[in-house]
Order: sequence, then C-alpha cells, then structure tokens
Amino acid sequence: MKAPTSLPIFSSYKYDSKFYDEIFTEKNEVREVYETLFNLFSEYSVNDFANLNDKAKDAFFNQGITFQVYGDKETKEKIFPFDLFPRIIGHEEWQKIEKGALQRSKALNLFLWDLYHDQKIIKDKIVPIDLIDSSVNFLKQMKGFNPPGGIYNHVSGTDLIKHSDGNHYVLEDNIRCPSGVSYVVGNRAALKRTLFGVFNHYQSYNVSDYGQNLLEIIESVKPKGVDIPKCVVLTPGVYNSAYYEHSFLAKQMGVELVEGRDLFIDNDFVYMKTIRGLVRVDVIYRRVDDLFIDPLEFNKDSLLGVPGLFKSYMKGKVCLVNAPGTGVADDKAIYTYMPQIIKYYLDEEPILNNVHTYHCSRPDELKYVLENVDKLVVKPVDESGGYGISIGNKLTKEEIEKVKETIKASPRKYIAQPIMSLSTHATYIEDENSFEPRHVDLRTFTLLGKDKDFVLKGGLTRVALKRGNLVVNSSQGGGSKDTWVLKK
Amino acid sequence: MLARVANNLFWMGRYIERSEHMARYMNVNYFSSLDAPNELSQSRQFVLRSMLFVADEEEIKDIKELDEQKVLYDIGLNPDKQFSILSSIQNAQQNANGARDLISSELYESINTLNRVVKNYNKDVFVKNGLFDFTTMVTTNVASLRTKIRGTLLHDEVYAIIMLGIYIERANQVIRIVNSKYNDALVEEVNSDISVTTSYEWTTLLKCVESYDMMRRYYRKVPTSNTVLDFLILNPACPRSIMNSLNSIHYYIGYLCKDEIPHKDSAAFLIGKLKYDHQYKTIEDVQGDLKECIEKLVEDLSLVGEKMDADYFSLY
Repeated sequence: MKAPTSLPIFSSYKYDSKFYDEIFTEKNEVREVYETLFNLFSEYSVNDFANLNDKAKDAFFNQGITFQVYGDKETKEKIFPFDLFPRIIGHEEWQKIEKGALQRSKALNLFLWDLYHDQKIIKDKIVPIDLIDSSVNFLKQMKGFNPPGGIYNHVSGTDLIKHSDGNHYVLEDNIRCPSGVSYVVGNRAALKRTLFGVFNHYQSYNVSDYGQNLLEIIESVKPKGVDIPKCVVLTPGVYNSAYYEHSFLAKQMGVELVEGRDLFIDNDFVYMKTIRGLVRVDVIYRRVDDLFIDPLEFNKDSLLGVPGLFKSYMKGKVCLVNAPGTGVADDKAIYTYMPQIIKYYLDEEPILNNVHTYHCSRPDELKYVLENVDKLVVKPVDESGGYGISIGNKLTKEEIEKVKETIKASPRKYIAQPIMSLSTHATYIEDENSFEPRHVDLRTFTLLGKDKDFVLKGGLTRVALKRGNLVVNSSQGGGSKDTWVLKK
Repeated sequence: MLARVANNLFWMGRYIERSEHMARYMNVNYFSSLDAPNELSQSRQFVLRSMLFVADEEEIKDIKELDEQKVLYDIGLNPDKQFSILSSIQNAQQNANGARDLISSELYESINTLNRVVKNYNKDVFVKNGLFDFTTMVTTNVASLRTKIRGTLLHDEVYAIIMLGIYIERANQVIRIVNSKYNDALVEEVNSDISVTTSYEWTTLLKCVESYDMMRRYYRKVPTSNTVLDFLILNPACPRSIMNSLNSIHYYIGYLCKDEIPHKDSAAFLIGKLKYDHQYKTIEDVQGDLKECIEKLVEDLSLVGEKMDADYFSLY
C-alpha cells in the first residue's frame, strides 16, 4: 500500500508523534478501523472534496442548524463548522466509555442527593466542606428537598479526550444544561446526504433514538398523582444560540416548546397558555440556567423565567429537569474528587480516568502550580465555554507572570492540570484543500430517570480547527464531526 | 397548541401566500404589458404604478416618474421594504422558526431553503433580466410549500391555523388585485376611451390569479368585467375566488371553534356571516357599487384577522 499521506487530499497532513493520531499509526499506516473509509476517500480528488464540503455546508443551512451572530449593522446566520471525516469508535472501546459515563452520572447523582441531605461525604472527610460552602452553585433552597424519582442530573454530558498514551481521560462533567446532542443527530444527517456511499461499509449505531429516550426519562420523574404527564421544553427563545437544539428536542419528543412568557402559575400549578385556554404542565425540561428560571426566587431581572416556578417545584407540583442546584457538582474543583466520589457511593473503581488536578486552594499544591505554570493548564473553577483558560506552553514570560498574579489573588478560583495532549484526527481544512491533523475531544450524553438510564451510542466529537489549538469549544471557533460507534 | 405559536403559524401561512401573489402579479403584469393591445397598457409607467399599487398604495402617492429598476428591486429584493417578496419570505421563515417544533422538518427545510435562495439572489441580474426567472422560481416554490403543508403535516389545529392564514391572505390579495385592475381599467377608460366592461385589464387580472384558462372554460367567452368579477368574487368552484376562500376559512375555523352557534363577537361568527352574505349575492349586487363592495370586503377581512388574534393568539 502507498503511504497514505502521499494522496493529494492528505498532501499537507503532518503526523506529529507527540499526539495520539486517531487515523494513522506511528508507521504511517492507517489504523484498522479506518481502513475501509480511507480507501473510499482515496477515490476522491481535491475538487471532489471541495464540492462535498460545500454540499455539507448547504445541508446545515437548509436544515436551519444555525445560530445568529449579531453585528453592528446586520445579523448573520452561521453554522457550526462540520468536518467530513467521521470519527469511528470501535465496539470494545465504546463499551468502556459507555460504562464509565454511566458510572460517573450515577455517582454524581448520589453525590448531589447527599450534598442536599445529610452531607455524609463531608462528615467522612472525603470532600472538604469549604469546597461546598464556597461554591456559588450550591442552592440552599434545595436542602432537604427530594426531587421526583430521586434524580438531579437527568441529562449529563461527559467530555473525554484521548491522551498520547492512548487512554481516555475525562476532562469535565456537564450536568447543568449540557448542549450539543442535536448536532450529533444533525451531523449524521448531513454526512448521510454528503457521503451516502460510505455508510453501507460500516455497521454503526443509529443516533436518532435520543429523543424517545429523553421523553421516557422525563416522563419517569412526573409529579405524584399524575397519570400521563404533560412535558414541555423551556427555551430562552429564538435568539438563544441553542434555539435549534431546543426546537429539535421538542420536536423529537413531540412536546411543546415553550418560553417563560407562555407559562403561568396559579395556585402553585404550572399552566401553559394555549389557543384553548390554560393547560397544566407536569414536567419541564428547562434549557434556562438556574438563576433565570424564576425572578421571584433568583435573578429578579430575569425575563426568561416564570414567577413562582421554583415554589411550584418545591411543592411537588411540577418537575424540573435537570434539578436546580446541580451546578455544585460539575464545578471543576469537585471534578478532582471524582475518583473518591465514585468509590464512596458505588464502591467501584472509576472506569474512566481523571486528569490529575492541582488545587490552588491547597498551599502545597498552589506552590507547585506557581512554580510550573508553563507546564500546566490553569482553569477557573466556575467558568464554562473554554473561557479564562491559560495553556502554559503557549504563554510568554509576561503572560506567565500575569497568570501567577491572578491565581494568587484568588487561589480558590483556580485549578491546574498537566497539559493533556488531545488526540488528533484528520480534518478537512478549506484553505489548504487538504486534510490536516486537528485536536479532538468527545462529549457523550447520559440520561438518568426513575429506574431507567440510557447512554447515547455516539457523541459529539468536537474539533479545534486552528492548527495546534487545544480548545475545542464552539464558542472558541471549534467545529464537529459525525461520530460512529460500531456494532461489532 | 400555544397561543404564541399559533400566531406564528397563522402569519407563516399569510406570508407564504403573500409572496406568491406578489411574485405572480409582477410577472403577469410586466410580461402581458409587453404586447398589450393599446399604448397605455403597454406603458412602463402604467405597469410599474400598478405593481406598486398592489405592493403598497402609499408608495406611489408622491412619485411622478418611476424608475423601473428601483421599482423591481423594491418589490422583489429590497430588505428595507416590508412589502418586498424577500421580506415576506423572510417573515414566513422567522414565523416558521418560532413554530419549528410543530411543523415537519420537510416543510421547515423547504421554507428555509427558499429564504436562503431569495436572500442570496443576485440583485443586478434580477433587475436587468431576471424578473421572469425569479418570480417563476418563487411561485413554483410556494406551490411546493403548499404541497408540503398539505402532505406532511397532521390535518389538525396546526394545519387549520396555517390554512386560515393562507386563505385569509388569499382573499385579501385577490380583492386587492381586483381593485388594482379595476382602477387600471378606469384609467384606461378616461385616457383611451376603452370601455371598462371590455378592457384588456380583465384578461391580465385573470392571469394574475392563474384563473384565465378556467374562466374561458367556464364561460366560453372573452372576459368582460361582468364575467370576470362573477368568477373571481362569487364562483365557489374557482380556487382563487373570494367565495372559495370564504368557504375554506369557514371550514377551517370549524377546527378551532366547536360551537354550533358561535358567540356573536367571535371570529367564527363573523366568518360565517361573511360566507353566507356572499353565497347569496349576485354579480348585479356587486357591480351596483363595485368600489364600495371591494372596500367593504377589505375591511371585513381585516376585521376577521383582528378577531382571530383576540380569540386565539392573545388570550392572556
């Protein structure tokens, strides 16, 4: 076989041995799972690929899988960049990911129950009290409250990477309002339209059963006394960047997509305003953050929420999915205790690895961090979307000093981790008309309900499109790939 | 169904229908004027004025000399003009977006695709020599949208509300087009001594609402004011007639209002009244005072819209 990188569409593919390349081995051979796909791709010319790339973009625009960017003069419609080269995850590799993601979600749920009830894990000195006390995401109002079905994090997103040692590591757990699942389905639809010829060579799982499972999960946590629950999805509105996802999920579940202004509380029951009058609502899959769900209880200026919604929840008249107050457990400082948390509640060894983490709140670890900023990734504990992250080996001397000052000013706010080398995957780069290696991660989606759980067999592979960039978040210019989980 | 979303669906239907009428009106007027039998109806200014009259009467009030490319651009692709075809399609898309979870992906994607095509249409090509292609593209796509509405949605309340939007808008547009062509015929009479009864404008009118061939088949005569108005206002078999629209509006309001005798102040009551009023009208009644009849219809249809809003879209 010819060296794969001699093909024109791989002309600028530069293999870097520092990273785990998902497609090629160190010997410049195609990994087994990608062989068929690679052979099919070799039949395409550079022009073919440029055309296919345009076709894929059209598929997204036409399906309206877009978000708005507001400029001074005009509003622009944009798509999240989509890459044509799918990521393939072998059957066995997936088994481990799936079990590991489910294990983490279950442990986090038990952890949340404990935090809002007896706090045994703190009394047993496994997790320090000050981590909880100092967390802005701990909602006092939730103390002693039993959410329906005992579930807090009905929907969890687990972010994983593959390190240079070939093992998966969890980078973060997202259990507030994790988004991205609509792109898993949208990416599949776009790839099927563009490269339909490749699908019959692989036996991969379908990803379109997510909506059905989500509906079953949220129906399982209906309030007491309700026979067939009326479920809705609550969105901040059409101008929200994830509006497509909200409407997608409502449609997949066949339930109404409501905004705060469509809901109304009377005598602690929640109603929606329909053309036939008020209709009672029992379960709300809310895609509005905790602080905005109820202006009477949280942010007074919120126009997105519903006055009295939280009280209605507390009285058991409606169920909120995910439960308010889950943010305390997906805090980056809590993340570092995940191995202990899993062991404590489930009496199991963690299936997925945690990245070793230094807590700047601990004096000895703070010292190490300050001395090694250039070798570490420093992250604020309560930011999401890739903001506020500094990657040591990309910083100038002045910048390193600045980071040190910032950490010293509020050590509790920061954690640090070794610079993990995210694996690379072949990604089509428009400007080069060629595939190049780019860093990727993977977000999996796990659902927990009363006596039911589900992990979507597939996930969102996010790719950092800038050469050498390690931040894959879409808010930082990242794109995504269709992700296939093989049946065998 | 949420009241807010119902409003979105209603306006989606209206804007879809509106864009088609505008496109066809432009197309037919422009191209049939090219070989019209008299000088006035061949005149560019006359045709452009007629187009703007249907788009927005206010636009021609103070303008003496119209610029062809500007008029075409304003009605076709000007995003700053609320009456442009581009704005109508964009409004249809935005309303579809607000009700996205209720309509089929096929329908949503078709509206979205049409919106993109229109938004990206080359302005220079359009005003120079793209009028035919553009307007034909719009009317063809709107027809396909209607097929998607009929063929992919559940025929339930969602469907009924979209259809109410479509038929209320259709009745509105047809009566406005009748009004415009009636005015054109009056102008012709003053300027060229051609009788209103036999004016060429009646043929153009029929073509503007895609009813020329069927009218010929029905009456087997050259169109005159009498036969054309009878056909377009009172004939229930003509799919573009006011009577046909009123029958459909009455039928679809039945999905929303189940009362045998609707409340006197309701949209359903007014619709029933309008329908039966017209059902027992003759063309002689209409022709007695055509102008008044047209104005009354425009007013009544606008009242139907207001009552729909009060009854279903803004309950709280």
